[in-house]
Amino acid sequence: MTRKRWILTAAAAATALVLSACGAGSNPLEGGGASESAAPAPEAGEVVVGSANFTESQVLAELYAQAMQAQGVQATTRPNIGSREVYLTALQDGSISVIPEYTGNLLLYFDPESPASTAEEIETALEEVLAEEQLVLGTPSEATDQDVYVVTAEYSQQNQVTSLEDLADLAPDAVLGGPAELAERSYGPPGLAELYGVEFGEFRPYDAPAVKIRDLNDGKIQVATFFTTESAIGDNGYVQLEDPQGMILPQNIVPLMAPQVAQNTAAVDAMDAVSEALTTEELTALNKAVDVDRRNPGEVAGEWLASEGLA
Amino acid sequence: MNLFEFLLDPASWTGPSGIPARLLQHLLYSGAAVLLAALVAIPLGVVIGHTRRGDAVASGLSNAARAIPTLGLLVLVVTLLGTGAAPVVGALAVLAVPPVLINTVAGFRQADQEAVHAGRALGMTPWQLVRQVELPLATPLIVSGVRSASLQVIATATVAALAAAGGLGRFVVDGQRLGPEGYPQMLAGAVLVALLAIVVDLLLGGLSWQLERRRRHIRREERGDLDALRAGELAEQAAARPDTADRAGDADRPADAATVEVPAGETPDTGPRPGHR
Amino acid sequence: MDLDWIGRNLSEGEDILGLLGLHLVLALTPVLCALVLSVPVGYLVHRTRAGAAPLLALFGIVYSVPSLALFVAIPVVIGTQILDPLNIVVALTVYTLALLVRSVVDGFRSVPVDARQAAESMGMGPVRRVLTVELPLAMPVVFAGLRVATVSNIALVSVGAVIGSGALGQLFDLGLRQAFYTPIIVGIVLIVALALLFDGVILMLQRVLLPWYRKAAA
Repeated sequence: MTRKRWILTAAAAATALVLSACGAGSNPLEGGGASESAAPAPEAGEVVVGSANFTESQVLAELYAQAMQAQGVQATTRPNIGSREVYLTALQDGSISVIPEYTGNLLLYFDPESPASTAEEIETALEEVLAEEQLVLGTPSEATDQDVYVVTAEYSQQNQVTSLEDLADLAPDAVLGGPAELAERSYGPPGLAELYGVEFGEFRPYDAPAVKIRDLNDGKIQVATFFTTESAIGDNGYVQLEDPQGMILPQNIVPLMAPQVAQNTAAVDAMDAVSEALTTEELTALNKAVDVDRRNPGEVAGEWLASEGLA
Repeated sequence: MNLFEFLLDPASWTGPSGIPARLLQHLLYSGAAVLLAALVAIPLGVVIGHTRRGDAVASGLSNAARAIPTLGLLVLVVTLLGTGAAPVVGALAVLAVPPVLINTVAGFRQADQEAVHAGRALGMTPWQLVRQVELPLATPLIVSGVRSASLQVIATATVAALAAAGGLGRFVVDGQRLGPEGYPQMLAGAVLVALLAIVVDLLLGGLSWQLERRRRHIRREERGDLDALRAGELAEQAAARPDTADRAGDADRPADAATVEVPAGETPDTGPRPGHR
Repeated sequence: MDLDWIGRNLSEGEDILGLLGLHLVLALTPVLCALVLSVPVGYLVHRTRAGAAPLLALFGIVYSVPSLALFVAIPVVIGTQILDPLNIVVALTVYTLALLVRSVVDGFRSVPVDARQAAESMGMGPVRRVLTVELPLAMPVVFAGLRVATVSNIALVSVGAVIGSGALGQLFDLGLRQAFYTPIIVGIVLIVALALLFDGVILMLQRVLLPWYRKAAA
């Protein structure tokens, strides 16, 4: 074979290889948050607790995992996976087996049209939709954490804003800040437009809560979404806007798990005990220890479990 | 699912978060940063190059600059100064200074010494010498430095999305939040920014090639005789195969081996340039 | 600077050290892979003569693609998941290869015609001549490219933090989330220190492996 032929053959082979790889047409996000080589599929009996990309989810994942470890369950964490879309895919493909969830938003994710509005109705409706998804809900905790729209105290006073209803006239000149996925949520811009006739001039996506806080204080955005358990709301004196139409559903904290974990009584009991003991105030304090005191979520969770006699 | 559905969807091409708007933001951030960097780096490079003082500083800077993680610098600036166009453009400009500075200095260092001496013998003032002799001779290398800087800035402006800035990186960052549905959006961002970088690279590469060619042409015309022209061509052919002595020297100057070297071939310099993207 | 935070994350979680180790693996594996590939590829490009210029231009275009774009696009080509660190390794291998092939070609071009002719007249076959005469003479230029690639790679790995796998770059993400500059500075300092350290290591290797260039290098 001449050199030219050799090079042509090599080029053809390389092209074929690339094309066949493309032909597989796999979506790199379809497999969820964890890849096979990065995180091998969990062994039988091993529980992998995932968490979303915000502080509270990481704290809750540590609480579940360490409580299970104390009961002799082999449990590990896979923190910071991403948004609901990403971690639920990971849960369904088996890369993780438990994820801390919020009842109302979880229901809306699977059934945006659901009429359920009280905590009980939501739980019943959730169990129905989750059965179809091959997922099992743990025992919801009394502790809650809602999404909430806030403005600075100054903005609230100047513009007489205390409720989402008051925003209709102001919104076209205002900027809303929140996580990127809010743009698509029923309690985000679509719900605001439908229920309150509020349409913001701009939506600015934020990945980092600290950057969002700074921009809100600097007046670069006027309205932002937070979680009610974030200490930043109290620390900065933000005004939480009322939601008279009940656009944001009650959100009780609950572990969502794969069916094989639901059959592991030691694991389920450990998580139930956490749900039983946790209150909204304690969760807020745990978040603050991480966000403000910059402590490690695992360490903070371990101390709380020890104080509750759960680990 | 079609991986290119985001790019093909007409809705992606309109509105304040549509592709044209993001592309424009990306170009504005990058353009402003490169311009700002050039305004600082070229005059500074001219001073260092002309006076030959501070050469070591400039060359040390080039090595250190390559080691600095661009994302880290950007995130640090945003954490300290807040979001908005000014901090982002400022951080990008800082990253763009070293390649332009180094190439300006190198352009002066490589300027034909005979021409410089001739200029001096004719009684040119230092300012005339810089403007009429050294700067024109250094221009192709300066353009090549601007090209390296532009590529680095375009790449880093993508990363700026993590710091709540706009630009094409938004598609990558936002797409990831949407799970499997978001991959076409991420890929759209990746493809667009890659195309932008390649187009800018080829445009500036073409410009620098044109300048280099014109410079040679002028030199030949000035000499004005055919024999000299032939001699010049022969010299160029020889230069295309540089001898070992030069190269062994280059080995200890990695920055120079890639940044400063002007390929003498008759093709545009599209070779890899150092610096990270 | 919150020195306390650094202490906590060094002793208890071993977070920083774990990220440091991962960072080195992600940055240096591509250098080794690309080095092994670049010598044969570079030699073939060098031998194509007329084809060398367009081929090198092509490698130049590959090198101009921003890293984040490559990190995102690689999974489609090789079928990995987006969070897979393999994406970073493959993307950086492509960059390093693009840079090193150019260095290898420049290296082979720098071999004096006399040396090649001398080897031929001594009756060396083509394989032996390339391996024992041309390649060693080309190495100084290759080493120069190697140093550039290694330093860039160490800095580039951190860009992976934008898509969730950036080793020490994760510290930037953490710092940004909490408006906390200690991890950001720790990340920058460690990355720059690693880059300078490995730049020095390669320089040492060059002096050991190519002792006949010691004088030229000094």
